[in-house]
Amino acid sequence: AQICTIFGDAQKTIAGHRKLVISLRKIQEACCYEPTKPGKKGEASFEEDDFNVEIARCVIRLVGVKKSEGVGDRIVRFLGLFLRHASEKDAALVPENDLEETQSFPETPSTRLTSHVLSILLPLLASKEKTVRYRSTQLISHIINSLDSIDDEHYNLLKAGLLKRTKDREPMVRVQAVLGLGRLAGNEGDEDHANGDSDEDDANGLLGRLLEVLQNDPSADVRRSLLLNLPLTPATLPYLLERARDLDPATRRALYSRLLPALGDFRHLSLSMREKLLRWGLRDRDENVRKATARLFRERWIEDCAGPKNVAQGGVLGEASPPSVDGLLELLERIDVVNSGVEGGVALEALKEFWEGRPDYRDAINFDDSFWDHLTAESVFMARSFNDFCRQEGEGKYEALVEEKMPEVTRLAFFLQRYMNDLVERLRRIDNAAEDEEDDDTIESEFILEQLLHIAQTLDYTDEVGRRKMFALLRETLAIAELPEEVTKLVVDVLRGVCGSEAAGEREFCGVVLEAVAEVHDTISADDPMVEDEDESFHSARSELSDSTPTKAKQGKKSASKDSENEEENEEKAIREIMVNMKCLHIAQCMLQNVEGNLQLNVHLVTMLNNLVVPAVRSHEAPIRERGLLCLGLCCLLDKTLAEENLTLFVLCFSKGHEALQITTLHILCDILTTHATLLSSPTTDPALQKSIFKIFHKALKATNSPDVQLAATTALCKLMLTSVIQDEDLLKQLVLCYFEPATKDNAGVRQALSYFLPVYCHSRRENMERMAKVVIPVMHSLVALGDELEEEEEMVGLGVVGGMLVDWTDARKVVVQDAASVSWDEAGRKQVKEVNGDIHIDLAEAILEKVMTHGCSKEEKKPLLSMLSKLYITANSNPEKLGSVSELVVEAIDVKVA
Amino acid sequence: TGAPTKRKEKEPFEIDFSSPLDPSLAEMIYTPASSNLAISLPKTQWTSKTRNLLPDDKHFNSRQLVRLFLKPKARIGARRSSTG
Repeated sequence: AQICTIFGDAQKTIAGHRKLVISLRKIQEACCYEPTKPGKKGEASFEEDDFNVEIARCVIRLVGVKKSEGVGDRIVRFLGLFLRHASEKDAALVPENDLEETQSFPETPSTRLTSHVLSILLPLLASKEKTVRYRSTQLISHIINSLDSIDDEHYNLLKAGLLKRTKDREPMVRVQAVLGLGRLAGNEGDEDHANGDSDEDDANGLLGRLLEVLQNDPSADVRRSLLLNLPLTPATLPYLLERARDLDPATRRALYSRLLPALGDFRHLSLSMREKLLRWGLRDRDENVRKATARLFRERWIEDCAGPKNVAQGGVLGEASPPSVDGLLELLERIDVVNSGVEGGVALEALKEFWEGRPDYRDAINFDDSFWDHLTAESVFMARSFNDFCRQEGEGKYEALVEEKMPEVTRLAFFLQRYMNDLVERLRRIDNAAEDEEDDDTIESEFILEQLLHIAQTLDYTDEVGRRKMFALLRETLAIAELPEEVTKLVVDVLRGVCGSEAAGEREFCGVVLEAVAEVHDTISADDPMVEDEDESFHSARSELSDSTPTKAKQGKKSASKDSENEEENEEKAIREIMVNMKCLHIAQCMLQNVEGNLQLNVHLVTMLNNLVVPAVRSHEAPIRERGLLCLGLCCLLDKTLAEENLTLFVLCFSKGHEALQITTLHILCDILTTHATLLSSPTTDPALQKSIFKIFHKALKATNSPDVQLAATTALCKLMLTSVIQDEDLLKQLVLCYFEPATKDNAGVRQALSYFLPVYCHSRRENMERMAKVVIPVMHSLVALGDELEEEEEMVGLGVVGGMLVDWTDARKVVVQDAASVSWDEAGRKQVKEVNGDIHIDLAEAILEKVMTHGCSKEEKKPLLSMLSKLYITANSNPEKLGSVSELVVEAIDVKVA
Repeated sequence: TGAPTKRKEKEPFEIDFSSPLDPSLAEMIYTPASSNLAISLPKTQWTSKTRNLLPDDKHFNSRQLVRLFLKPKARIGARRSSTG
């Protein structure tokens, strides 16, 4: 009776559990031990049985309690707490020598009680009632997790019982089952269980089974529970980390906010895994996952690098260590910043989050002269990311901070020059040694320079002295033929900023870049780099070169050499010529990307077009020709007439080109057509040209075996349709089909672009929606036909779902901006919510009804079409004629018994 | 999870530990499932083709739609608004 009262109290609140546990223990002790001789087992087995039966009675009361009742959970907790307490007390009472003698754990009143409770619960695991299965599984798992050990006899029964429940129909039962098994798997993993080898196989079996559940269970709750309860071992880790891409956002977040912080030092993870985890997490579609990842990075990972050394990693979330620049540098090294810090890499995002959440580091950081004198990939990236953060975030509130810490233009130019010299020297050494691969130092040197140029892009060039210094440096640098492409691009970008944004600035910019191009071009006929004076700094060597006319001297020398040597030399020269031309075109391309003004008004650009780009387009060397086409495309953006003249050329390039060229052509065409929107729709447009352009888009969309071409065409069409440049219904239909057809299943790029585009397109303009409504019937028809041809393993989204989406895309209430036509209906002067014109759906209803009544409309086609009818938005204010004809059609449809 | 302090709408449920077990409850508790199948997950749901993982994210967004392919910087006003 006392026991009942205790349980009765325990269900109300967990606050009194400690006291109640102690009282219950007293009752247990009174039943099981001789009061006079504490420390020795009592013979009063009768009373002990009574106690156990009474507890079991209470347990039985529990298992019928629904999941939603807190009462049940409290009792489960209480029991667990009591069993742990009682076992500990029992263990303390067992004399030490006994412990050493017996191999397995000694039997005590509490182990007997546990066994009794478990044996009551085991048969209930297979109960018909889900509640009973839930509570019994919950209690068993809780007991497993509360106790250090379970006796062997029950161990296997429990495991078998719980394993069956991992396949339970109810997710809530499966959750509980995996909670218990997770613990068992953990125990089996690290300690050799009594029976040796055979048991080890067993452990693998259990763990393997759980990992299977982790990957396959349809319920996210089950996967998440398992994620947090499986033992962290090298064997399980890959499976656990894979959950970073789980379908369920809460599971992904759990990985970043709970599992990974508890994992210990992140440096034990492989380099590629660190990068993946950061990239996945920081770019997750769910904001909470992104936040959790950011915190993990700036609070836990930095702590592993910046925290006190040789401290046991217990996953304790203590106070953050004071800022340590060395720690941050190590962190950057550990995420391999030379690779992850390039454009498009994740390091910049990670550091943005870092600076955002670590004001202590923002204040602590300092960039003095000696910092700039000894730059490494890590330190320069630290400076660059700090600079980017301060200038882009916080709406200007960090401007003062960054101004204070960053060097002014002149000084930065000075450092830039030094690292530029360093890189060029290295590159020339490599050139001379004829080594194919760049060594790590050169890569780092290149990386440093890139970061400095990124900083240079953000500086203020109103100071004339600094501006001139930077201008001169960039101008000289650009003419160095060895300069790697990424550096070249950045130099051109910075130079554009230095020249000022107005038209005169643009002219100066073009002039100076093209001068550099000319200098690079001159090196075709210049001396071998070997002959160049190595002792001189590259600046003077360069200026000398540009002043002299070395062409003739070289030719004179060459004529003296033998024929065979000549041939070899000629071949070498041809290769060199291609390389230099490629380089020139690349510089021109970088320049053109920064130019906005009219081409014909800029004499530099006209010259470049005629002397560099046009010859390149006509070149016999494919790489030169292709790069020339890209430049020509860029020129076309600046000149409509030029664009008009060359559209046919680009169309031809698509038809004849290989995959990469096709993609480039699609990009060029799309950019030209969006820039000069009237090219395709003006009265003077050659209909044949328009047709051929549509044709290549059709062809590209169907290029199932070149997914990249398909993707390029899809994104290009998305742009062209959103800007209303292309309004072709056939192409729209083709896009919708691309979205649904199984052939694009593996082309995530196409699918994701369309899932963004289609609703935006339809809901943004009424005309677009009307166009979509017109293709609904043909789309459904094509999909029905596709469904018939489906291979067995192919899956397609159900036609009912497709119909639902099409109805949604044509629902006039969802047009973002209602135009005059849709609101002019009840212009009574009163402030009323105006009803949206539902004519689009009226028309659709008419079309559907007509379609289902045509001969040859199959049953499979009728069904989804008819089910669409019920979802249409049809209002009384619609066009009366249309309403009339639709109702006539309905009557007719009923007459002929369509359905 | 902080326990809600008061739940007034619902009558608090309590287990009566002292009274004898209601026979209908006892029946409910002790009736085993007619077959293992009846309480198990259908076999079709045992495995997931995708391992319940997301497809590769392509991060398609509106920004990509308003800028040119060839001149990624040439987009309408985006650069200024992010710094301002």
